[in-house]
Amino acid sequence: MKIAVCLKQVPSRDWQPRVNEARTWVRDAEATFEMNEPDAYALEEGLRLKERHGGEVVVCSAGPARVSQVVREALARGADRAIHVESDALAAADGAAVAGALADAMGGEAFDLVLTGLQSDDQGLAQVGVALAERLGMPHATIIMEVKVEDGALRVKRELEGGWFQWVAMPLPAVLTIQSGINQLRYATLKGIMAAKKKEIRKVEAAACASRQRIVNLYAPQKTKQTTMIGGSAAEAAAELVKRLRDEARAID
Amino acid sequence: MISVAVLALLVAVFGGLFAIQVWARLRLVRLAPGAFAAGHEAERSARFVREVVFQSKVIAEKPVVGLAHALVFWGFVAFAGYSGAQLLKGLHVVDLTGTRAFHLYMVALVPFALAVIAGILFLLVRRVAVRPEALGPLSWESVAIALFIAALMVTFLLDFRLAGWPAAVNWWAHILIILVFLAIIPNSKHFHLVLAPATVFLKSTVLGDVRNLDFEKEEVGIETLAGLEKKQVLDAFTCVECGRCQMNCPAYGTDKALNPKRLILQNEEALLAGMMEAKLAGVYDPGVLWQCTTCGACENQCPVGVEHLPLIIGARRGLASNGEAPDALGAMYNHLERRGNIWGLTSDVRQKFVESAGFETFDASRHDYLLWLGCAGSYEADFQKSLRALAEILRARGVTFGVLAKERCTGDAAKRTGNEYLFQELATANIADFEAAGVKKILTSCPHCLKTIGEDYRAFGFIVEIEHSAVLVSRLVGDGRAAPPDVVTLHDACYLARYAGRTEEPRDLLARVGAVVKDPVRSHHNPFCCGAGGGLLFEEHEEGTRISQRRFEQLQATGAPTIVTACPFCSIMLKGAQASANAATEVVDLMTYVDGRLKAASARAASPGWPAAGQRQP
Ligand code: SF4
Ligand code: SF4
Repeated sequence: MKIAVCLKQVPSRDWQPRVNEARTWVRDAEATFEMNEPDAYALEEGLRLKERHGGEVVVCSAGPARVSQVVREALARGADRAIHVESDALAAADGAAVAGALADAMGGEAFDLVLTGLQSDDQGLAQVGVALAERLGMPHATIIMEVKVEDGALRVKRELEGGWFQWVAMPLPAVLTIQSGINQLRYATLKGIMAAKKKEIRKVEAAACASRQRIVNLYAPQKTKQTTMIGGSAAEAAAELVKRLRDEARAID
Repeated sequence: MISVAVLALLVAVFGGLFAIQVWARLRLVRLAPGAFAAGHEAERSARFVREVVFQSKVIAEKPVVGLAHALVFWGFVAFAGYSGAQLLKGLHVVDLTGTRAFHLYMVALVPFALAVIAGILFLLVRRVAVRPEALGPLSWESVAIALFIAALMVTFLLDFRLAGWPAAVNWWAHILIILVFLAIIPNSKHFHLVLAPATVFLKSTVLGDVRNLDFEKEEVGIETLAGLEKKQVLDAFTCVECGRCQMNCPAYGTDKALNPKRLILQNEEALLAGMMEAKLAGVYDPGVLWQCTTCGACENQCPVGVEHLPLIIGARRGLASNGEAPDALGAMYNHLERRGNIWGLTSDVRQKFVESAGFETFDASRHDYLLWLGCAGSYEADFQKSLRALAEILRARGVTFGVLAKERCTGDAAKRTGNEYLFQELATANIADFEAAGVKKILTSCPHCLKTIGEDYRAFGFIVEIEHSAVLVSRLVGDGRAAPPDVVTLHDACYLARYAGRTEEPRDLLARVGAVVKDPVRSHHNPFCCGAGGGLLFEEHEEGTRISQRRFEQLQATGAPTIVTACPFCSIMLKGAQASANAATEVVDLMTYVDGRLKAASARAASPGWPAAGQRQP
């Protein structure tokens, strides 16, 4: 099976983000970066499917030169080769633009399965996977918790709201967006790191980036603190507290 | 003349048997990769005199048995001249035995002969009648060798009395015993007679000295038997099967499959069977390599210089490099890789603590010490308390310190579990930070950080003065005895007591704040581990009894209501054991305890009638 895993490099959670002058993006020149967490699970799922069914895993990433850090990490964990669509503009582009750039670079490869994380830890749009499916002309399923390949087709488990799941049967090729926690991540081994140095990273020039979304104001949420005194007898107050915790704070259900 | 020819023939046959067997073993040593460590000759020589000549290790652990062994050993060395001279005489090379000097030498040997007979009989009775668990099943070969040694002494003593043909028979008996002995030795544990002096000399001067892998040479750790290094092959043939490593091992002692003695003997067996391509982990029982806490008891107690830790960690590396580390460790590696700490928490947790504790950022021009927090100090609530206490003690005594703006794990858990790449990444990044900040003196409350920064970082050429807080504070704190008397027990942390040798400072400090220390079994230089080291903090299922539970019971048995320890991981493990035992005994970190005692002391001193507590008076 020829599997593609699309992954993104995002600012590290350890980094305290600060907004730039124009309020359009974070000051990413100061940031440290890491692999987007849901994408790490997508990669792991791809590697496991390869171990079960054979084939190869190709990682695809779009973004500036620094993206090669997470691409190398993926190769060290066992991906066979990589495609890097190199463009500074793609760092903060919208989902459609990124999906377009990836689709152009991946189009000639005829992948059987394309995996990506459900969403990114920075923008959180959850668009690239579905837009990519459209551009590649493949069916897709999102928020995947389990993947089974049976008789050349897929059976996948989707996570719904409220602790519900749904099994979906679908044909191959397809695009799946993977939920965090679907599997247990492997670590980069010394042998994997040594082998990664010799693996191919194909660099692709991006066509002009056509982001159609524009961020007009980026800001950190205001912290608010509010104290309300609940009166009445102990029993009344308790009942009122439970009601508010359920309906307003949504802390219980 | 015939007798000379017969003797020459016998010498050739038995000497040949000896040589063939020795050669088979030394060839394996020669073929093994790596080199014997060099340097520290003065220290090695001093140790040689202590441990080989004076048998200090043998005697220290088991004084009576050790002394019996020392008598046999010294007797043996003293007898070399006598037996050698007899052999030369028999071969008609030269006869020294008639001289007056030789007679005096013989007279001097008499007490040695008696001592050897006494020693060997004692050891024989112990082996056959007492059969200690450490020695394993009774081996008739050992009994035969003991009887041979006794017979050698008897034939020597008879030499004074006999004349004529009985003397000749006696002489032949003596010579024959020596020759048969020679042929048996290489394939028995008595080969240590030949090899132990070398292994003791060649052993590293540092406990748990695990050489860095060289990635340029594509080293990945020990994967097959052929990957065992020279010293490790030598160790396998030297082991005297005394079982001291086994009896001191916390894993073996809590019914786990791991037995450090067995690892060494399995190496020996597999090496002699020529299974060079066999997977090393496959030579051992499944899973045992991941049961080691790296407490160092085995290596430290071994009387013949066997180094277990480079073997166990080397074999772990061979597995970890191939992705075969247990899942729980894999998760920890990912945490280290992504977040730089063993728990995978984000650095704002540490940041908040640093701010609320009022720790300044280290500035070499203003601060005496860099205070290194470590993973536990940065992220674990109880240990943060201990660091606040330490800070109060330091501030009250005018010691200045600062912390790094950001820290990452020293790499202790990565190193001990065989993820060498991650360890070296963390180490080089930390060293770059230390150098950029101009750090000269480091203070830490974590014994694992102490070992890793203080000893392992030396391999990168980074040499720094680093101290554990117990040591510094024991120098600073004066009289805190005004606090009401208290009884505690101290759990010596492996990495502070066994590795760093700091057993007196914490006791000194406790005494100075008016605590009476009741030592548990296995204290001071040979503590029983808490079960956290070597990555076992992350272990999901522990076979047999939990190590922490066993240690907690030992500490509890002292009757002291409070257990004090000076290591964050010991605290975590013992607190866990305390919680599952639902016991009243309290577990507290040394600095938290000392700070509390000092405060109690000054509260009392403030009330009339008590002497003031404070600086130590010069
Ligand atoms: S280091 Fe400790 S736990 Fe490991 S084998 Fe040796 S004695 Fe046992
Ligand atoms: S390794 Fe050392 S301590 Fe263990 S049995 Fe062998 S000689 Fe004894």
